[in-house]
Amino acid sequence: MTFGMPKWPRTGNWRLSRDARLGLLLALPVVLIMGGLVFGPLLSSLIDSFYRIEPMKPGTPFVGVKNYVTALTDPTVLAAWATTGVYVLLAVVIETAGGLAAALLLNTITVGRRWLLAAVVLPWCLPPVVNAIIWAWIFNPSYGLMNGILRTLELTAVNFVFFNDRTTGLALISVVHAWRMMPLTVIILLAALQSIPKELYEAARLDGATALQRLRQITLPLIAPGLAIALSQSTVFAINLFDEAWILNGAATDTRSITIQTYIAGFQNLKLSLAMALSLLVMVVSLAVSAIYVLRVYRETRFE
Amino acid sequence: MNRRAFLMTATALPLSFGFASIARASEALALLLPPWSTLTKETTDKYTKDTGGTLNIETLGWDEIHAKIVTSMVAKTAPATGTEVDWSWVGQFGAAGWYDDLSALLPADVLADSPTAAIFTYKGKLLGVPYNNDFRVLIYNKAHLDAAGAKVPKTIDDLLTAARAVKAKGACEFPIGLPLSASEGAATAWYLLTKAFGGDLFDKDFKPLFTTPDSAGFKAMQFEVDALKEGLIDPASTGLKDTEVQEVFKAGKVTFDLAGWPGNLAVYTDATKSQVAADAHAALVPNVTGKSRSFGLPGAIGIPVSATNKDQAATFLNWLMKPEVMAANYKSLGLLPTRLSVLAALSKDGTLRDGEVLAAQAAAAEPLFAQGTPGWYSEFSGAVQTALNAAAKGQIDVATAMKQIADAAAAAQQ
Repeated sequence: MTFGMPKWPRTGNWRLSRDARLGLLLALPVVLIMGGLVFGPLLSSLIDSFYRIEPMKPGTPFVGVKNYVTALTDPTVLAAWATTGVYVLLAVVIETAGGLAAALLLNTITVGRRWLLAAVVLPWCLPPVVNAIIWAWIFNPSYGLMNGILRTLELTAVNFVFFNDRTTGLALISVVHAWRMMPLTVIILLAALQSIPKELYEAARLDGATALQRLRQITLPLIAPGLAIALSQSTVFAINLFDEAWILNGAATDTRSITIQTYIAGFQNLKLSLAMALSLLVMVVSLAVSAIYVLRVYRETRFE
Repeated sequence: MNRRAFLMTATALPLSFGFASIARASEALALLLPPWSTLTKETTDKYTKDTGGTLNIETLGWDEIHAKIVTSMVAKTAPATGTEVDWSWVGQFGAAGWYDDLSALLPADVLADSPTAAIFTYKGKLLGVPYNNDFRVLIYNKAHLDAAGAKVPKTIDDLLTAARAVKAKGACEFPIGLPLSASEGAATAWYLLTKAFGGDLFDKDFKPLFTTPDSAGFKAMQFEVDALKEGLIDPASTGLKDTEVQEVFKAGKVTFDLAGWPGNLAVYTDATKSQVAADAHAALVPNVTGKSRSFGLPGAIGIPVSATNKDQAATFLNWLMKPEVMAANYKSLGLLPTRLSVLAALSKDGTLRDGEVLAAQAAAAEPLFAQGTPGWYSEFSGAVQTALNAAAKGQIDVATAMKQIADAAAAAQQ
């Protein structure tokens, strides 16, 4: 196999073929959309983050890295970073463990799998706000289903106010987020599981391997690329967690994620350049985590 | 049809639909309003009948309206031709220069009849036409008090005594309704209680007056935390906004809507919307000094500088301030008129229950900030909301909460 510059499909000197022109024309909307709505604003935000852009104050003076220093030293912002770290840890663990278990189960089912899969995917189809509102009803201290169940089972005599306790609040928000995002992990891992040749398991059984050994020695190594993709998306979505925390516990500092902090800085306090700096840092962290996963997968799966 | 023609058609069709919808939307006057101010169909029909124009009302939550205005105005576009302008946004929007001066829009007699217009005036410019006269008043359930043999409270001690009696008699499990979530409604309730305890938030130089234990603001928050611990306030209040507390009051599950909206009396006393219609009454905000105090939180509609169709907006605002329209909006939505003459007429004809009380409370309503709402109000309010919520949850004590709020106010003023 040879590598090199692709040949331009030309009909004459520097003239593109009809199909090539059509191809470029069709690609143009994507280029314009990505350029206009992603890369353009990204560059603009990066530049603006070095200025003070606050509509209430006159002028937009250059402030260097001041916004980034605030984003990395302000106690409220640091608390939001820490809270986001907890969300990432809990959500990724729940989504990966639960997703793997569900995918393994679905992989063994042959009758009615499509219907089960449709049911599993359903939470993922819900808009995040709708999902969070449903769970807010469930956790409502006065009329919520959860307290109803606990009282029916006589596990409590008084209604719990779940979000009065930070640890419980963080755990519940993570569970609600994971409930919505886990189906994506299930689909990715199920696809990976279905690509494993069944002969490998038969051979392992003949060699006397236990179910746990088959999981560790065959399944996990062979679904590693899918697992990395699943981990990557879980992490990025957890870093960007907003709707669930906002709807379940509002702007409360004990469950405030970094994206909520960004929203408050930008849209409530009108500190737009600080919000831009925060957004860019969130993006950098997301990219860094994704890069770690992707590079690790590349190392483990590349063909020598 | 060949491939090229198909692709061009596929691209053009959605665009043509988009342009058509834009053209349709431009015919109506676009308004951006909160749920409690979204005009009823009867009212919008009347507007069409009176003026020949039509309204395209977009309803969003209070926070969301602010976010939408900020996003649009930073992008130098108007979110609508007329938008809600809350009293607490005046400093921000005024400093940013985002709204037209409407001083000349209304006749002089209408403006003179609407004293709350002063709250929407920033450096001589009227940023919004006040249409919703809001202040805070005590609203109580008379049946609960009667059942407990308690009197309508005039002082903070009376309030605690009555609440304890109601709870002891089993008339209501959690008698005092107060929002304690990290929300604007919780912050405004604390401001009200600060005045009820005889104090103010800041001095003339915007130095905090709430940091010491003997200050009114400190006592107000301590009162909220203690009442919660004592079981006079529902523990679930740490997750409730003011609008949710109102729903609880309507269901007869609290005795006192301590930071009640006066206009809500129209809703509370409507048997089709409330389970306590016969028992909901207003009283002056309890106090410790013998003089009831409250503060104004009116709502207005302003016209963004980048809006189009401003003539139609001017027609609408003049129509909105007509006495019959204000009276109709009070009856249907509970929007208390901002024109004193309309308020007096409603009280005189008996439409306004406890009209004398509301008139007396309105007279005692002060601006929260005598110097005008500062541009940094949002940051301050955000700090109040989160500190109060954390104190109510027992995560910090009141002294720490006060220090956090004072620090945030100082930082916001820099």
